[in-house]
Amino acid sequence: MKALLDFFTSVRVAITLLIILICASIIGTLIPQGRSAQEYLVRYGQFSALLQRLQFTQLYHSFWFIALLALFALNIVICTLVRLSPKSRRAFKPKIETEPKNILSLKIKDKFRLGLTPAEAREKIKKELSRRHYRLKEAAAERRHFFAGRKRVLGWFGSDVVHLGLLVILAGGIVSGLAGLRKDLTFVENQTLPIPGANFSARLDKFITEYYPDGSVKDWKSLLTIIEADKPLFQKTIEVNHPLNHRGYVFYQSGYGWDWEHPSLEIWVKKKDDPGYLKKVWLKVGEKTALEGEDLELKVLQFIPDFVLDEKNQPATRSLEPKNPAAFVEGWQGEEEIFSGWVFAKFPDFSRLHAAKETNISPELKDVQAPNYSVIQMARDPGVPLIWIGSALLMAGLFLAFYWPTRELRIVLEEARGKTEIVAGGIGAKDREAFQIEFENIMNSLRKLK
Amino acid sequence: MSESTFFLLALIFYALAAAFYFAYLYSKKESRAGTGFVIALIGLFFHTLALVLRTVESGHAPFTNMYESLSFLAWASILAFIIIEAKFKVRRPGAYLLLIVIALMALASSPFMPREATPLVPALQSYWLWLHVSVTLLGEAFFAIAFITSIMYLAADAKEKKGKVPRSGLTAEKLDSISYRTIAIGFPLFTLGGLVFGMVWAYKAWGTYWSWDPKEVWSLITWFVFALYLHTRIVMGWKGRRSAAIAVIGFLAALFTYFGVNYLLAGLHSYA
Repeated sequence: MKALLDFFTSVRVAITLLIILICASIIGTLIPQGRSAQEYLVRYGQFSALLQRLQFTQLYHSFWFIALLALFALNIVICTLVRLSPKSRRAFKPKIETEPKNILSLKIKDKFRLGLTPAEAREKIKKELSRRHYRLKEAAAERRHFFAGRKRVLGWFGSDVVHLGLLVILAGGIVSGLAGLRKDLTFVENQTLPIPGANFSARLDKFITEYYPDGSVKDWKSLLTIIEADKPLFQKTIEVNHPLNHRGYVFYQSGYGWDWEHPSLEIWVKKKDDPGYLKKVWLKVGEKTALEGEDLELKVLQFIPDFVLDEKNQPATRSLEPKNPAAFVEGWQGEEEIFSGWVFAKFPDFSRLHAAKETNISPELKDVQAPNYSVIQMARDPGVPLIWIGSALLMAGLFLAFYWPTRELRIVLEEARGKTEIVAGGIGAKDREAFQIEFENIMNSLRKLK
Repeated sequence: MSESTFFLLALIFYALAAAFYFAYLYSKKESRAGTGFVIALIGLFFHTLALVLRTVESGHAPFTNMYESLSFLAWASILAFIIIEAKFKVRRPGAYLLLIVIALMALASSPFMPREATPLVPALQSYWLWLHVSVTLLGEAFFAIAFITSIMYLAADAKEKKGKVPRSGLTAEKLDSISYRTIAIGFPLFTLGGLVFGMVWAYKAWGTYWSWDPKEVWSLITWFVFALYLHTRIVMGWKGRRSAAIAVIGFLAALFTYFGVNYLLAGLHSYA
């Protein structure tokens, strides 16, 4: 038990754990995380099985990485606690140094004689040090008087507050991992979806994409209504960086898209030999529609939002954005197909129709509309408040430790033939150079005491 | 005058300041460094104007692509250098820092860096962009100075081992202490900007405060390395060469987080 405690109080162990954590984290950024077994096989060949067995492909969620973090946390707890009580004693019940020799062995020190009696010197030094915000403890002995002065004592506990903050953040991470809930909800306009695990639902009233003049996306906005017990409770527009909070659930704008299974296509039918002829029709994929005044039925067999020919020379879509919309259109007269082929909205001249029969009909794809959907991520993460509390502690601790360094003064006054001999020293481990300057200033003003 | 004119003016003044600092290094005349310092301040003034104009013209914070963020890092480095020089009364590191700043600005204006201001993608439209990036880069600027003083330490230490005493009075021991105190300023800033503000913003924009994205992991690695520096030094009493080596590694990790991750590892932080 003792050996175990010693193991965890050792700073060497903490350093070793830190180095292992650094190495593990680096490995995790070099191997893509959370991909399919197939991808790893392509990438790493025969080593892929080994990498997966070592959980290097799910490194940050692996058993051994979490175990490392747990050991690290335990080490922080024990190291902090072990150091806390001697530190508190030093901070709140300082031992008063009575041996001038010890003071003179400090790095910051001074020794001089004042032309005042010890009683006068004592009062004036006290006043001067209080003016400089030092809190004083005193002790007296025969012909001697001792001061222990300290300021910014809280700075000593900065590192402990940092460690506490880290532990709270780790605890928050555990709570998030165990109790966090995250799900993508895909809404089309006017659709209401129940929120899993909650007693309310959400309806998407409107979804819009805003664009910059250059065509790039400026923002996505979803107008959501929260519905409780069949009654609309409130309405809010969410956009990226502006989520909605309700009963511990947070809703984020996380994606968007079009339902390309159900597009409506506007086809303009022209005649090659009649420039004045124009018929506009809206078609749905798979439906045969008669063209008014003509012995012709049009049918769209297939629609592709971003047309490309794949390596097998087959039509495919490059993305789910309508960057190059294309429709495969057929023209029918009764049971006879008279033409068929791809027409392109962006490239009307590129259409190549295969005509089975002589025809003067020329269809063009003019416009495409598909139901928009908005992807909204729903998250319930009870770990989050812990993360913010931990972060606040972490920062408070760091600022205390580095920007609020503790300074200690030790002074011995000794009577020497009616005058006073002063031996003073200072300890300021975190900012010795800056303290040295303050110390010299203090000593200069003490020397001038009359 | 346009933003690029001010940028160029700043670069010219920094180069001039660097020339004076190097003249100081070789002549040991303190006044040359003093002149260099004033010239660097003028450079900073023009650089600030360039950044303000950029902000006004683009309508968003001046660090949304590589050109802008390099320029801002250079600006933050000059600011950090002014703080360090005034606080610690050391002149010599300024010469090398100015070289790094000039390199950053030259890189920013190189044709490889997209320069034109583009509209902000939705994820970046937040005031957290200001807080997250500016505080992080300021923290990294202090790491850059600690990197310089650590390398200067290693050089000074090697010389002193051969029995040479530095005429400038800037001993290896002093450099070691300056490195530590510079890291002590930068570490809380980096933690606040990089990790804490990063988590808050990630939570607001992506719905999760931490997603083990490579840039996140690398900033954590950088943080771990500097934590290692502080613990080995404060608790175990390491000083000198081992400390300097960790400070150098820490800065390289910060550099990789800032720069390497974008080009070598794919992830959520695909903006700059």
